[in-house]
Amino acid sequence: MSRTVKDDVVAVPARSGAATVPRRTGTLVLRVAAAVARRALMLAVLLAVVFAAVEVLPGDAATATSERGDSAADVAARRHLLGLDRPLWERFWDWMTALPTGDLGTSARGQKVTDLLADPFPNTLLLGSAAFVLTVVASLALGCWAASRPGRPIDRIIGHAATSAFAVPEFVVSVGLLLVLSLWTGWLPAVTLTGADGNPTTWTMLIMPVLALVIPQTGWNTRIVRGALADQASAPHVEAAHLDGLPPHRVVLRHALPGALPAIATGIATSTGMLLGGAVAVETLFNYPGIGSVLAAAVAGRDAPLIAGVVMCAGAAISLVLLAADLVRARMLGART
Amino acid sequence: MTVTVVPRRVLKRIAPGLLLVLLALTGPWLAPHPIDTPVTAPYAPAGDGAPLGGDQLGRDVVSRLLHGGTALIGSALLVALAVTALAALLGCFAALRPALGRAVERTADVAILLPPVLGIMLIALAWPDGGRLAVNAAAIVLGVPYAVRLVAGAAAPLAQSGYVEAATARGERLWYVALRELLPNLRATVLALFGLRFVEAVYVISVAGFLQIGSQPPAADWALMIRENAPGILLNPWAVVAPGLAIALLAISVNLASSSLAPRSARKAVTAS
Repeated sequence: MSRTVKDDVVAVPARSGAATVPRRTGTLVLRVAAAVARRALMLAVLLAVVFAAVEVLPGDAATATSERGDSAADVAARRHLLGLDRPLWERFWDWMTALPTGDLGTSARGQKVTDLLADPFPNTLLLGSAAFVLTVVASLALGCWAASRPGRPIDRIIGHAATSAFAVPEFVVSVGLLLVLSLWTGWLPAVTLTGADGNPTTWTMLIMPVLALVIPQTGWNTRIVRGALADQASAPHVEAAHLDGLPPHRVVLRHALPGALPAIATGIATSTGMLLGGAVAVETLFNYPGIGSVLAAAVAGRDAPLIAGVVMCAGAAISLVLLAADLVRARMLGART
Repeated sequence: MTVTVVPRRVLKRIAPGLLLVLLALTGPWLAPHPIDTPVTAPYAPAGDGAPLGGDQLGRDVVSRLLHGGTALIGSALLVALAVTALAALLGCFAALRPALGRAVERTADVAILLPPVLGIMLIALAWPDGGRLAVNAAAIVLGVPYAVRLVAGAAAPLAQSGYVEAATARGERLWYVALRELLPNLRATVLALFGLRFVEAVYVISVAGFLQIGSQPPAADWALMIRENAPGILLNPWAVVAPGLAIALLAISVNLASSSLAPRSARKAVTAS
């Protein structure tokens, strides 16, 4: 049983692959390679589905970007220019084979997708990762606090608060934050101002968007942590520690938490997608220069390559976190057998 | 198997949600003004004639608030019902047929890589005239994989049980075993699933409304009201805060109701997924 509980907890958001100690190096490398390959394959399948969905449903980039006076021949010419008259699988194959070189294709308006995403995606990633780190810390603290006082008022209060917080959409939380932190107290500016480099001018403009993402996700993750710890509470070694008269917080942190970590890691990893999705709405409200605005424009312009690019980036980020969770689980379960 | 009795404690926690849903559904008849004609100045503060002031076109916030819940709740109910029904059916089949079960697992693994908001944008993008229908369809398609996984997980131990084996040995057909033997024993799980999907649907549909996918501007929609009136939050905060409160209250009360419906075992399965 691992004694360095705190280190493991911190290793969850960071890529924990580096933290795995190669005891049986050969099998470990194989296992990691298999996990990476599995995640990559799933991402490829998702992209194929995205491509197919855009193709099957009516309307395409050529008609969406056409001007009012364009004739049918003009639209056909544009369709040819964008390569939309080639078979679907051929375009998908071209796109997929260009991917390893870092090329995400060309948008319907003729710009490189990588150029369009170069500025906004890191901004969204910054927002999302700040929120992710905060929610992991907060939900572990709240979950452990509740679990160390099972059935007591504080346990019930945390439980109800978590349930309520996770039901409220991020943009509604944003409205509440705007009201309190901006209108009533005047502590923070209501909108994000962007500097010449396309980034927010001061870091204080990150506070409200991050909080709006953190509050619902902390509700979700606190429930997961509390549930996983409740499952562990009936394990023989945890009951023994409890009967030995160890203080509750020690029982939770040293004896219950290590066993609960695999379940917690998997649960928290699922919040990556919710964070990135929520970011789109929150960015719109705070005028934050992230993928939210790019996506809004892409939907209006029926820009399939651009959307596929965003899905690719979001999917890759989510895959990485899920992979980290896989590795945490493999390590913790492997350490016990 | 457990017998479902509704204790008073559970009733008490369902009541606020039911009351709010009822109020939102009857709201259109209580509204004092039409939703599309200005009655005051744009962003007028609360005053005579308009208790919560006016919105960005001077329309009555109270009337729009009373109209705004019907479509949201209706869509959410529809989506939750459709997802739960589909998931219950597919989940039972998946528990009985391992090949289908594996396919469901893989689909859910892939679906988890697509944030729902992106998925909705994608479907709205590809189906420009779909409007609200496109959002509902997207919410159903995106919600089913997890829900099936959940039902299949709960049904798996039952699929190994004696009475299912007996039914299979009798030569009953697949749909009979699924619907008559498995499903009745999954009542608790399915009920909890419905509550959870309702919460999720309120979330997805309101985010879509906020992003102006689905319901379009002249419509009164709580999420859309927040989006439209956000620029005037300094002039008339109520135009943004009131619909925000309405969504928050709806989400929280429905969520509390759904978590009190869940039996201990199912709740554990739900939070672990």
